[in-house]
Amino acid sequence: MLEKKTKIYWLFILPGCLFLAFFMLIPLFSLLFKTFVNENGSFSMANYFALFESTYFKQVFWRSIRLSLTSTAVCAVLGFPTAYYISKYSKNKGVLMALAVFPMFTSPVIRSFSWMVILGKKGIVNDLLVKSGLIAKPISLLYNEFSMIVGFIQLFLPLMILSLIGIMDNISEDLNLAAGSLGASRISTFRHVVLPLSIPGLVTGSVLVFTGCLTAYTTPQLLGGTDTRVLATMIYQQAMSLGDWTQASVVAVVMIVVTVAVSSVINGISRKLNPTI
Amino acid sequence: MALLELQSITAGYDKNVILKDLDFQVEKGELVSLLGSSGCGKTTTLRLIAGFSTPMAGKFMFNGKDYTQVPLNKRNFGFVFQSYALFPHMTVFDNVAFGLKMRKVPQDQMKKEVMEMLETVDLGGFENRFPKEMSGGQRQRVALARALVIKPDLLLLDEPLSNLDAKLRVKMRVEIRRLQQKFGFTAIYVTHDQEECFAISDKVAIMNHGIIEQMDSPSAIYNHPKTEFIARFVGFENFMDLKAAGEGTYVLPDGSRIQAEGGGSGEAVKACIRPEDIVIIPEGGDGPNLLTGEVMVSTFLGKRHQYNVRTAIGEFEVSTDQESVYKIGDRVTLSLTPGKIILL
Repeated sequence: MLEKKTKIYWLFILPGCLFLAFFMLIPLFSLLFKTFVNENGSFSMANYFALFESTYFKQVFWRSIRLSLTSTAVCAVLGFPTAYYISKYSKNKGVLMALAVFPMFTSPVIRSFSWMVILGKKGIVNDLLVKSGLIAKPISLLYNEFSMIVGFIQLFLPLMILSLIGIMDNISEDLNLAAGSLGASRISTFRHVVLPLSIPGLVTGSVLVFTGCLTAYTTPQLLGGTDTRVLATMIYQQAMSLGDWTQASVVAVVMIVVTVAVSSVINGISRKLNPTI
Repeated sequence: MALLELQSITAGYDKNVILKDLDFQVEKGELVSLLGSSGCGKTTTLRLIAGFSTPMAGKFMFNGKDYTQVPLNKRNFGFVFQSYALFPHMTVFDNVAFGLKMRKVPQDQMKKEVMEMLETVDLGGFENRFPKEMSGGQRQRVALARALVIKPDLLLLDEPLSNLDAKLRVKMRVEIRRLQQKFGFTAIYVTHDQEECFAISDKVAIMNHGIIEQMDSPSAIYNHPKTEFIARFVGFENFMDLKAAGEGTYVLPDGSRIQAEGGGSGEAVKACIRPEDIVIIPEGGDGPNLLTGEVMVSTFLGKRHQYNVRTAIGEFEVSTDQESVYKIGDRVTLSLTPGKIILL
């Protein structure tokens, strides 16, 4: 009886699977396929070799990774105490969670434009810096790596906070009390209990933030300059401006590989730190 | 002087007062149970002693020192949680070693003490397991070992056996008692299980609505309850209003007289008796302290038989192991065993 029922339930996921197969898997594999073929139609890695020989690509590649890693690290540092406070100490948890995810309700375009206003030569930040006498005249805060990182952090910090809260909510208060009753100070308790047990949340959050940063298009396009291109904007440039779809596909494949590789490295590190995951 | 002394402690959350002016004392080497139904304040008391919360008013003295404001990590009390609260990311060894690590005990000594403690709780060879790889009873013993290895000045146990099945519960409570007697530590044990608490404790404090109704040895509580609440708690089902007439004679509300142990003169008193201390005989039978009535309910309980009998002064619950079975509506005579009538 039960087995028959399970078989029927299979049908429920069929529409979703078909949709994904047609609109995701098939285009993805045809893209993948095209990148491994040369003009004669036979297998070749030439596209990849050519790409990695280009200085321009290498610059873009390392910039992408550097910006994504930096943003992830900053999100972790900013997100951890925030999530810990919301999860363990706040009395208005619902309100604070809503505030934390509130930025996600606006489109990245609007948010990027807002940063342009804030970070511009006549923006609030420059205004304050000049008025306080720290700098003589407005400095350029826009269209560089700094403004991109700021944009990334604002875009993805909510994901880090939410992932951490999800995990921290499951750390029983009894564990903190147990550590305390065994003689651990608040700092020791944090180091030996809270931090290691939060690692799964830190991992999920980091993977989400990193892949988000690496694949984001609007933010680097609007807050970055022409000399701070990243992989996502490079793909667009290759495909739309230069009409080179194969080259764009190659970059896209590299992006996917990097995403998967970094995610598994982060997962591996976390497993070493906390073997119970 | 008592080792531990709570002096008029008031505690609670926000405006919700759970403990009112509580006084409580524990002598060195005693195992004292706090017994009561949920919400009676027993866990609040225990957590207060542990230092998990601070009282709104009152003083907590320990070993002659004021401990009211001492933070929990400076108290050197072991705490065993209902949930065990083992660190899931640490092995059994690291869990037990945690307290010694915090005390900066040298590696060699730490290893020796942890291994010895694991042997004591019968967990030798399990040191590299993770808590999730162990059964409930094993986790319970890890929790005990972790709390004991720091040689606590006081061991606090919060319903430590309530997550175990009945058989294991009995085994573990013997184990806890054995360890307590072996090491001679002072312990406070919170439970809602009467049998468990009577079996394990030197003294039992029964709590109700944030106060201790009675604190005594298990047998004293069982045989000489001081209040109606305690009497009901330990199985007295039948209550009577009496008027003392001197020399052990008491007058029932219907005018009949009974004999009971205990003094008192002219005052109204409440008395109680257990169902098994009432003898049930056919109407017209003879014996001390007789009442007549009619069987209302008859319940077969296996080893015993229970009757609910309506008399002129109210319904009585009677439990007997006699063979002769009375039917509903039968007229019977009840004889209240004189020494078993307890005056409250």
